[in-house]
Amino acid sequence: MDRFFPQVVFSIFGIEVRDTVVSTWLMMMIVIALAIVIRRRRPTLLEMLLDFVVDLISDLLGGYRIERYLPFLGSLAVFVAFANILSILPTIPLPGGTMLPIVAPSRDINTPIALAVVVFFSVHYYGMRQQGVLGYLKNLASPIFLLPLEIVGQISRTVSLAIRLFGNVLSTELIVAVVFMLIPLIVPLPVIGLNLFTGLLQAYIFTALAAVYISTGLEEPGESGIEKAAQPDSAGSRPPDRAAPVDAGSVTPGRVR
Amino acid sequence: MTDMDSGTLITLVTIIGSTLGIVLGALTPAIVEGRAVLKALEGMTRQPEAAGDLRTTLLISMALLESTAIYVLLVILVLIFANPVIDRFFPGG
Repeated sequence: MDRFFPQVVFSIFGIEVRDTVVSTWLMMMIVIALAIVIRRRRPTLLEMLLDFVVDLISDLLGGYRIERYLPFLGSLAVFVAFANILSILPTIPLPGGTMLPIVAPSRDINTPIALAVVVFFSVHYYGMRQQGVLGYLKNLASPIFLLPLEIVGQISRTVSLAIRLFGNVLSTELIVAVVFMLIPLIVPLPVIGLNLFTGLLQAYIFTALAAVYISTGLEEPGESGIEKAAQPDSAGSRPPDRAAPVDAGSVTPGRVR
Repeated sequence: MTDMDSGTLITLVTIIGSTLGIVLGALTPAIVEGRAVLKALEGMTRQPEAAGDLRTTLLISMALLESTAIYVLLVILVLIFANPVIDRFFPGG
């Protein structure tokens, strides 16, 4: 069981490189190769993926310009999805007798923490880009006595975003490892299927939560969540005025919550 | 049972506490998530045109609810694999 947790493969200048980092490099190569091959052979597959992400984001970021946030959220979704299900690849034998185990990169807690920190900074970046630096800070501290609560909320939701991804991936892989230790033939296959399903679902949830956090950072006065939810919005069909540019200049302090 | 030293006692308490903790920590979010799914299904059958919005909200809120179970799991993993109390009693081991 001690082989289950991340191990140091080699070290460069005293910096230890774990097997999750090597798996991440391999994953990046796989993703880039898949993107190139699919773009040549079956471009409709990429369109389906893009439509899926656009539908997800436009449900949560409705009313804002989707194409401004699509590159970040889409690449986040692809990265997390591949990072969660990479452990289905077998171990690669290296020259020299050692084995390089291919593990899911999000099983190491450093990967989800890095992703969550990226989401944390992107929330503030997009908020400042939308409302201006001073306007965003003024909105963040609109009742000044709620500022500590706001800061605690920002930090705790970042931590919970990282812990959720890490815990889900780690728990399903622990289940796979335990079943594999007991009966290594055929029986772990449904469990591995559950592992794949959970990984893809967690990628969906991670992207959706990142979109929700970004939309809270973009929130402007007079556009509360109740009004947004009350808009007539049929599922599946996007009204054409969704992509209308939002007027960024009309920001006044005092956010309606 | 007569020659039980402190390390054995700590291990025993850790195992029993982890078992009780994972039972409670898995049971409570399961019940609450079941209630959430029930309400969402009622809403979907009543208003099928709002099913898409309900599904997105349901998935996000279930992820938020499930994170409490994940916290319990993490605490238990720390207790079992990297117990700080055992390290204090047996340094280096």
